[in-house]
Amino acid sequence: MKVVFVTPRYGPEVMGGAESASRLLAEHLALEARFEVAAYSTCALDHLTWENELPAGDSVMNGVALTRFEVAAKRELSFFTLDERLRRAPRHVSFAQSQRWLELNGPDVPGLVAAVKEGDADVAVFSPYLFWPTVAGIRAAPMPTVLHPAAHDEPALYFPVIGDAFVATDALCYYTAAERRLVQRRYPVAQKPQIVLGIGVGDPVEGGRAGRDLLGLDDRPYLVSLGRVDDHKGSAMLDAFFRRYKERRPGPLALALVGPVSSTIEPHPDVVVTGAVDEPTKWDLLRDAMAAVSPSALESFSIVIMEAWEQALPVVVNALCEPTREHCARSGGGLWFGSYRQFEVIVDRLCADANLRRRLGANGKAYVQEHYRWPALAARYALFLESVVERGRAAAI
Amino acid sequence: MSGGVPDPAPEARAGADEIAERHDYLARVLDEIDEEVVRRRSSGDLPPRVERELDAMFLRYSPMGGDDGTLDEVLDLVESSSFIDPVVPISSSRAGGGLAKRTIRQGSLWYMGWVTHQVSQFASATSRALRVLDDRVQALRTELDAQRVPTAPVIETPWAHGPGAWWVDPALESLAGQAGRVLHVAAGDGWLVQRLCAAGLDAYGVEPRADRIDRAALEGLDLREEPVLGHLRAIAPRGLGGVVLSGVVDAMTAAERGVVVDLAAQKVAPFGHVIIHSLSPKAWVSDEAPVEADLASGKPLRPRTWAVVLGRLDFDVEVIEGPTSDDYLVVAVSGGGREGRGAAG
Repeated sequence: MKVVFVTPRYGPEVMGGAESASRLLAEHLALEARFEVAAYSTCALDHLTWENELPAGDSVMNGVALTRFEVAAKRELSFFTLDERLRRAPRHVSFAQSQRWLELNGPDVPGLVAAVKEGDADVAVFSPYLFWPTVAGIRAAPMPTVLHPAAHDEPALYFPVIGDAFVATDALCYYTAAERRLVQRRYPVAQKPQIVLGIGVGDPVEGGRAGRDLLGLDDRPYLVSLGRVDDHKGSAMLDAFFRRYKERRPGPLALALVGPVSSTIEPHPDVVVTGAVDEPTKWDLLRDAMAAVSPSALESFSIVIMEAWEQALPVVVNALCEPTREHCARSGGGLWFGSYRQFEVIVDRLCADANLRRRLGANGKAYVQEHYRWPALAARYALFLESVVERGRAAAI
Repeated sequence: MSGGVPDPAPEARAGADEIAERHDYLARVLDEIDEEVVRRRSSGDLPPRVERELDAMFLRYSPMGGDDGTLDEVLDLVESSSFIDPVVPISSSRAGGGLAKRTIRQGSLWYMGWVTHQVSQFASATSRALRVLDDRVQALRTELDAQRVPTAPVIETPWAHGPGAWWVDPALESLAGQAGRVLHVAAGDGWLVQRLCAAGLDAYGVEPRADRIDRAALEGLDLREEPVLGHLRAIAPRGLGGVVLSGVVDAMTAAERGVVVDLAAQKVAPFGHVIIHSLSPKAWVSDEAPVEADLASGKPLRPRTWAVVLGRLDFDVEVIEGPTSDDYLVVAVSGGGREGRGAAG
């Protein structure tokens, strides 16, 4: 069976959660003998500019036949003005306005959509929901399609043009039940074949170095926040909360922000910003942290929480983020904060109570082992794809 | 006839105990955290302005807020945005920039202060009005909760809700050739979905009870843990070839039953099926009836009532009584009559 994954960006250097999840799934699916896996993407690495940075053409990456298409035009600045305007009242945006928003959001890759239309794949998988190749690709695909929305409760989800993709796709794959509830509150898609899958975690590949040494912290304990350092991801909020915490609780505790940086973080003796790190460094940093913090309110899964739990680390998440909060509630592996006060009390408790840290970490690890391990996850997905193909491109009832 | 759900296997019970223990522990810790937050807040150790600024920062990139009870959070956002600060920041990366900004700020502060004071007052009054409204809604909700009729439980009896039940074959025969998707509501571990799929139908199931479907889901069936009404509402109009409701309507009140039937009728395609299995009123009052017969607010309808209810919705209805009159099956075909069976899709 031939499967093609379509994402706006593709590759290990891409930090986007949905794109990384698609790549990992494609690579693990490629290990199943009965699947031939391809991926269509762009030459872009930066989702803000869509600048072509990688060569166009065919290659093979970890068993996946990858074709990159050039982006026809970089992102226009007028997108940001329109985006700002439409975000204020997303439920009142017209179809034409949202269609314009989608075109400006891009990436504009007509070659990719043409390849989907003329391709011979048995099934096409699209992710995430809010980019032009997803909506245009689902409209054009002659084969059955699966949409991995990676939906957050954000303005774009309410734009009418987005409804096209949800209504036209043949099947859906969600990261969490919370994501499914969110989508189903908005679109009548409950009858479509679907699966709540999540993302798998592999065995940690540690580098054998002490996390504190990597951060230059000597023997100081630290909290770690892994992922893009970005205002939208809550990094600036976490930074501000932690600085305030340290003003009120002077002591050795430090914060490590680990990931590519697109926010301005002012230097502070207790805050270390590493930038992007390699896999062994990431696992070393997680292993030796006191707890992991996911400050983002807009996550549809959060692989970094799973990786923290894989290292038996307690996690702290944003209370307004339904998927990560659901992970914590179901696993018993983490706590959530909805204000500075709660953040402060939680950090105090974690610092003071080793038993609490141990129990949360152990609960989280058990949860990951039970639900989110490769290759069991890829095998479930393979069965799902086969059922979608068998069902075929659905005629509307 | 015996009621209730069979005891789970010992290992499943041990696993469930462990999960319950984990959840209890987490709930206890969260309660302690909440108590400590309240204690510290009342101690006034953090200036309210600082706390408000930090919380505004927290809410800046918050979700849109859906239908899931987040009004309080949205009001927090309104409140935190209602103060407009006339004292603009004056830091600058350019030499002399800070001084220039400070001069402009000092010169215009009386004017800006006058304007922002009025805007802040308006915003504050608006957010206060919304908060009062929210408080009243909450009070009403609390009052109503005390009088609320509990959601009808799913009824499960070993003799009527399993692959060996007498009504399964007639239900499968009715659905034969149905091209649209078939939904089994209260699907349990997927026993009927498996039968439907084996019969060549495109079937899936929804189960409102927690922890019933993991095993089946791992076997590749499309089974979901979702509330019945919530799921039915999220289906596209005419999106289904058929709906099978077993153990769902038995204990429902008239209002709940009305909503479920209306939704089912809207969601099946022309010539689609609504199939209902229910215990009979006779079984409901017998000593062998499940305990829900005493605890639930509703009771099963007589079979002929279903013929009337669904007939009014333009369904062609057939009622099949069980061999001991303890239960019955209703097979209803939407518009066009039973001759049109299988045309959907």
